[in-house]
Amino acid sequence: MALVSIRSCGRCGFLLGLRAYATRPVGTPRKREQQDDTPVFQYVGQHRKPQGKVFVWGFSYTGALGIPSFVVPDSGRKKPRKYQLTPYRLDTEQKISSAACGYGFTLLACNSRDLTKLWGMGLNKDSQLGFQRTQHDRHKSYDYVLEPSPVSLPLVNPQETRVLQVSCGRAHSLVLTDSEGVFSMGNNAYGQCGRKIVEDEVYSGSHVVHKIEGFNSGVTQVACGQDHSLFLTDRGSVYACGWGADGQTGLGHHSKASCPVPVGGDLAGVKVQQVATYGDCSLAVSTEGQVFGWGNSEYLQLASVTEATQMSSPRLLPLRGVGRVRQAACGGTQVAVLNEEGEVFVWGFGILGKGPKLSESAIPERVPATFFGRSEFNPTVKVSSIRCGLNHFAAITDRGELFVWGKNVRGCLGIGKHDDQYFPWRVTVPGHVTDVACGVDHMVALVKTII
Amino acid sequence: MHNYKSMKLMNFSEVTGPQFHKVHVGVGHRLDAFSSGVLVLGIGKGNGVLEHLCKSHVTRDYMLEGEFGKATDNFTHTGRVIEKTTYDHVTLDKLERVLAMIQGANQKALIMYSQVDLHTQEAYELAVRGLLYPHGKSPPILTGLRCIHFNPPHFTLEVQCVNETQKYLRKLIHEVGLELRTSAVCSGVRRTRDGPFKVENALTRQHWTAGSIIQAIAHFSKATRKIRKLEMYKQTAGQLNSNAQVQEQTRSQTDE
Repeated sequence: MALVSIRSCGRCGFLLGLRAYATRPVGTPRKREQQDDTPVFQYVGQHRKPQGKVFVWGFSYTGALGIPSFVVPDSGRKKPRKYQLTPYRLDTEQKISSAACGYGFTLLACNSRDLTKLWGMGLNKDSQLGFQRTQHDRHKSYDYVLEPSPVSLPLVNPQETRVLQVSCGRAHSLVLTDSEGVFSMGNNAYGQCGRKIVEDEVYSGSHVVHKIEGFNSGVTQVACGQDHSLFLTDRGSVYACGWGADGQTGLGHHSKASCPVPVGGDLAGVKVQQVATYGDCSLAVSTEGQVFGWGNSEYLQLASVTEATQMSSPRLLPLRGVGRVRQAACGGTQVAVLNEEGEVFVWGFGILGKGPKLSESAIPERVPATFFGRSEFNPTVKVSSIRCGLNHFAAITDRGELFVWGKNVRGCLGIGKHDDQYFPWRVTVPGHVTDVACGVDHMVALVKTII
Repeated sequence: MHNYKSMKLMNFSEVTGPQFHKVHVGVGHRLDAFSSGVLVLGIGKGNGVLEHLCKSHVTRDYMLEGEFGKATDNFTHTGRVIEKTTYDHVTLDKLERVLAMIQGANQKALIMYSQVDLHTQEAYELAVRGLLYPHGKSPPILTGLRCIHFNPPHFTLEVQCVNETQKYLRKLIHEVGLELRTSAVCSGVRRTRDGPFKVENALTRQHWTAGSIIQAIAHFSKATRKIRKLEMYKQTAGQLNSNAQVQEQTRSQTDE
């Protein structure tokens, strides 16, 4: 019986085979005429240039990310997004050339000659973003600006002047232009805006944008500390104003300064190429590659020269094994420098980037280059710029990759999780990162596309 | 005088039968029909070592040939053409930038899949020395990627990868094309190294004889011994760890 059934199955199989249609075997090429019929698409022209894009991430409820749907969702079904843990594209009309993150607010600047050169978003309770007229009442200003809104500057030649750089502190901001000097806005309780302190001044809803006077030559760089401001002129001299309780103004005293005063101490006669500050400690890098520091030293930032917790006058920091310094960056409790060979050195207090065991150091510690992508396949990768937020670091390599490490305050690192990062970690951004601005709980990256 | 010795019947394999038979042959990491290159085989007792080689997560080197301008259904130049695009905007500079981006993403994946708690000091120590590596299951990760040759529309990539399949590599070529806003197909996959077995030591068709095979096995005897030792070390290390844990437990009990 079994034999019969098999044979009948075999016959069925054979019949089925007859019913199947013949197909062209896989792999044989089609005839020529069929291949040339397909149309050719062009997605990118031959002369397309890379575009500039802006990416933001971090804590969104202050409005500092500039995306209103994160705070006030478009439809009732969606929920507000409190933390943006990975880079999110911010659509801007113009190409942004400079960005700065303050304590809960952001300034974006475009170096064009158009009438609108500056946009601000985030906290505006001290008018650090200027006067943002509300829709319903033209005498009131918004306390929180949820999307990039134009900031108006009282320029003499608005169609000629370009904005070169912006900087933001705790509740004030500085705008550097190429031909009209420095403008300041925001809180002036300690004179950080470079103008006379007015008793009981109400900063919310203030229209005041002050053009800072008192420099003997053009200003080339501005830096905002928490409640003080530093200015670097083209002659290499440093000016400071603002709060001085920790000596962060470097003027030799611990009181407020309400207009910019030249900084002396060890910096007298030295040509400075860069100043850096974000908290209460200040650093300056000279053209010779030496680092000078002053201000708060409670976290061993200046422990190489002093045991005191504050230093009110700049002193040369004898950093061993660092070489010529090209760039310095200061955070709240930590400091980083970048030398000419592209190596990063860190010291201070907090998560410094060499594992969980190293939580404070008085001497510079080198962050190993393997973390920035150096390997046998790429032996020549170096870091091209470093920045500090209040509790974290950011480094950009010459290959356009962004690395972050430090305390992950409300998702400010952009690595997709809320955990702190104890060694440099890549942030996945679709493009080449050209610049990054670090705040307390958010970051902004200026990115160039690859194509 | 004839050389009678050489004409003995015993010397003819047609009389005595093949010299080696009933040989168990095993294949190492797969190589599909479209690809070429190094294929590791194990004979007899070597099959055991082959298993260890497969488990040990060695890296493999490939040479990938690509061609810009079309996209096919199976990512190769012999498939059905789905779309044709222009590629005159592609330069070596842009290609290198795209490869750098892909490599960056893969470096990150290497650390993420290494199954080590990144908040510990040990993780930091391993990461500094570049030893953070996915020892368990992981998706295909490229440990190295660079462009060897660029002559539009043709280009050649050298890839070093772990846990890959050849189809993944052909898809990689397709994705490189997508990143460059054009399309690309793979016209050749060639494995040049599988762990310690390099293409220079591979036997080509003419050498598929018993004599050369025996020579090749002897050449790699050191490598096979190392693989066997590594696997034994891993097993004993596992036992040692469990022993140490047992000792620690007993010690703490006695302390209490």
